[in-house]
Amino acid sequence: MRGLAALLAAAAVAACGGSPAPPANGGAAPPARGGQVIASVRTEPQSFSWYTQHDGTTDLVTFLTQARLVRVDRTTGEVEAWLAESWTRSNDGLKYTIKLRPNVTFADGHPFTADDVVFSFAAAYAPNGGGPVMGGDMMVGGKPLVVTATDPATVVITFPLPFAPGLRLLDNLPMLPKHRLEAALKAGTFANAWGLSTPVSEITGLGPYVLTEYLPGQRMIFSRNDRYFRKDADGTALPHLDRVIVEIVPDQNGQLLRMETVQTDMMSSEARPEDYASLKRAADAGRLQLLDLGGALDPDSFWINLKPGAFAGDPRASWLQSEELRKAISLGVNRKTFADTVYLGAGVPVWGPITPANKKWYSPDLPQTPHDPAQARRLLASAGLTDRNGDGMLEDSSGRPARFTITTQKGQTAVERGAQVIRDELKAIGLAVDIAALEGNTAVRSFMTGTYEAGYFHVGMTDTDPGLQLEYWLSGGGFHIWDLGQKAAATPWEKEIDGLMAKQTATFDEAERKKIFDDVQKIFAEHLPVINFAAPRIFVPASSRVTGLKPAVLRPQLLWSPDTLAVRQ
Amino acid sequence: MISYLFRRLLFALFLVFTVSSASLLIVELAPGDYVTGSLGLQATPAEVAALRARYGLDRPLATQYFDWLSRAARFDFGQSLANGRPVAELISAAAVNTAMLAVTALLLATLVGLPLGVFSGTHRGGVLTATIRASSVFLLSMPPLLTSLFLVFLAARTGWFPIGGMNAIGGGFVDRLHHMVVPVLALALPLSALFERLQAQATSEVVTQPFVLATFARGVPRSRVIWRDALKVALKPIASIYGLVVGTLLSGSFAVEVITTWPGLGSLMLNALRARDVYLVAGCAAAGSIFLAAGTLASDVALAYVDPRARE
Repeated sequence: MRGLAALLAAAAVAACGGSPAPPANGGAAPPARGGQVIASVRTEPQSFSWYTQHDGTTDLVTFLTQARLVRVDRTTGEVEAWLAESWTRSNDGLKYTIKLRPNVTFADGHPFTADDVVFSFAAAYAPNGGGPVMGGDMMVGGKPLVVTATDPATVVITFPLPFAPGLRLLDNLPMLPKHRLEAALKAGTFANAWGLSTPVSEITGLGPYVLTEYLPGQRMIFSRNDRYFRKDADGTALPHLDRVIVEIVPDQNGQLLRMETVQTDMMSSEARPEDYASLKRAADAGRLQLLDLGGALDPDSFWINLKPGAFAGDPRASWLQSEELRKAISLGVNRKTFADTVYLGAGVPVWGPITPANKKWYSPDLPQTPHDPAQARRLLASAGLTDRNGDGMLEDSSGRPARFTITTQKGQTAVERGAQVIRDELKAIGLAVDIAALEGNTAVRSFMTGTYEAGYFHVGMTDTDPGLQLEYWLSGGGFHIWDLGQKAAATPWEKEIDGLMAKQTATFDEAERKKIFDDVQKIFAEHLPVINFAAPRIFVPASSRVTGLKPAVLRPQLLWSPDTLAVRQ
Repeated sequence: MISYLFRRLLFALFLVFTVSSASLLIVELAPGDYVTGSLGLQATPAEVAALRARYGLDRPLATQYFDWLSRAARFDFGQSLANGRPVAELISAAAVNTAMLAVTALLLATLVGLPLGVFSGTHRGGVLTATIRASSVFLLSMPPLLTSLFLVFLAARTGWFPIGGMNAIGGGFVDRLHHMVVPVLALALPLSALFERLQAQATSEVVTQPFVLATFARGVPRSRVIWRDALKVALKPIASIYGLVVGTLLSGSFAVEVITTWPGLGSLMLNALRARDVYLVAGCAAAGSIFLAAGTLASDVALAYVDPRARE
């Protein structure tokens, strides 16, 4: 499921009755109206429709031009009423009755009604619509939500089963204009309806900006939507800016250089660790503000291919898939060294996929494996790996070297450094590691087909609420990376996690949910199907003239809330 | 001559067909495809299968290839998977941008490289000749990536030129020229160094030939002999590679276009390769090979014209 910073308080979502839209600037002095901000992205959008493409730049376009019924505030984790004005939940937790905000119109002046909501859900699930890309995102227990309009300002959304994250799920669903896209959906051309060759005048939305110009390979220009529904705390119509310009700069060094020289005001993603020093100098010179957003929510992950039969006929099978090996690796890697080397000092050691940045769901009571090479060697010996020829490296009982290959992604400097540190650290406990750095989608293909030995990859946790991460936690999940495509839980502990996660998402008692998820993390830490070593600190630069920023850890860190942005005149 | 031209034309067609087919097949055969890259690890097998079916990537490789081939024969190169736009439209837009750089860079390189080559080829010794030669060797040994990075760095630090992009918002012709400075220099500097070295070598050989010495002996002014008589003969090495250079430049430079954010064929091809956008890769390869084939053909024709033995 797609990741939005669902941080805290599913309770707030489930609460009977929504909250009014929060003031946009927290009551500070009103920002100046007008001006423009220039941001940079590295890739072109693949579409102007989030329903058909889920790449980062399409996501950014969606934040700028579209709006949802509810929005997860990425800085607090709270669910905010957005196009929805309020809602109530039925006693059985299945039915939500949502009252829409009145007098909202699309950028082209057409009124927004409950029909648009029903249409958006229909488009999301339609096989010839958004189905292949976002249908799965909007399923609960493998079934779609049922949406009906009771009057032009009210919709009823029925979940197939009690689902604790509730309306948080809707943060993933921008509302579409039925009057513009209904014909395309009926004709089966929805997938191309808002493609890159679509004239920008045909694209409309409920977001703060309207796409007014697209120059392929160069830039997109978004102009102020004068019909945008939100107002500032003092009643000033949002957004503040007249324009947001998104420059397409494929080269990351070029992106950095433009940032340093303030030819752009912000980037769509965080700075690389190696860019920190030069950005800091620009910040010290007063040209930039360098925002420290704290630790990342999703650490890079190491795992062994645990698919049964993955090493059939391979004499290494007995130890490669053993728990002892995984525990030894966890003990053998010095996490402090790892964080310092991989993230150049701007990283924090972690012991599981849920990092301290995920304040709501992080479990501080989990055991923190120390760096203990001697204990690692003892564990490996118990798996039959000892140094039989005195060369310092381990061999199995037949004298074959204990050697395996880590598949990782080429071109991601931190990931490549991470794989190298793992190799060096494991050498110290006698394990020989080769690194196969592959181009991104070749690596993904290897993981999906199970044709790899071990993986080290950025596994993006797409939502902080574990209820929206079931594909990762459940044995049958499509994102259960260490053993994809299980028909039934392959191990007793995975079966136990399946049961706990089913309970965790079915209860609306937040304390109970937390307790259950702590247990899940404990089981996970005991069996270590995925080993996490460190999470980077996230630094985001912005030019000094930009105000109204609401920085969040998840991408796009500064542009997820574009309506409050302003510039000093 | 006509049969020679016909043979070269056939070879050019074969080159275009082979390069574009090979690039399509290689991209198809490599592990992973546009869908795996686009959806990432998070995608379920059902989502992957549905999207593959949408793009026709679930069909057998031979079917995909012959379908593409039959359309390509009618100059329909299909649609880009990544952005749904016709490949021909994307390529023609990018080719115009690349041509803008290529032609300007070639003109600059010719106007600078040739005279310098003639000068250094006829002035043995001296500080100026040594400086020209050293500069050329230095520029030739610099990979285009480094030259581009250096120029972009210089532009950023001095603020003299834009560090990327093709034009500012609302910018006109002058603004476009301003944006062209860095990428044109990145392309033209090594090229002018190449021309200088070739021309210097050729000129230094020609000026020692009997017909030139005889002309000098008759009292014809030195500059006239060199620029009028010797140059004609000394141009032969450059004439033989000129077409190839044109073809290579028009095919787009990955390094220069990516570093300077110039939306040309090189950038387009690189993005297509990254995204595994198979039809766009094949289209870019076809366009590149067409330019290369045209350049080679022009070179061959030029060479055949000045040296009839080349027609054999």
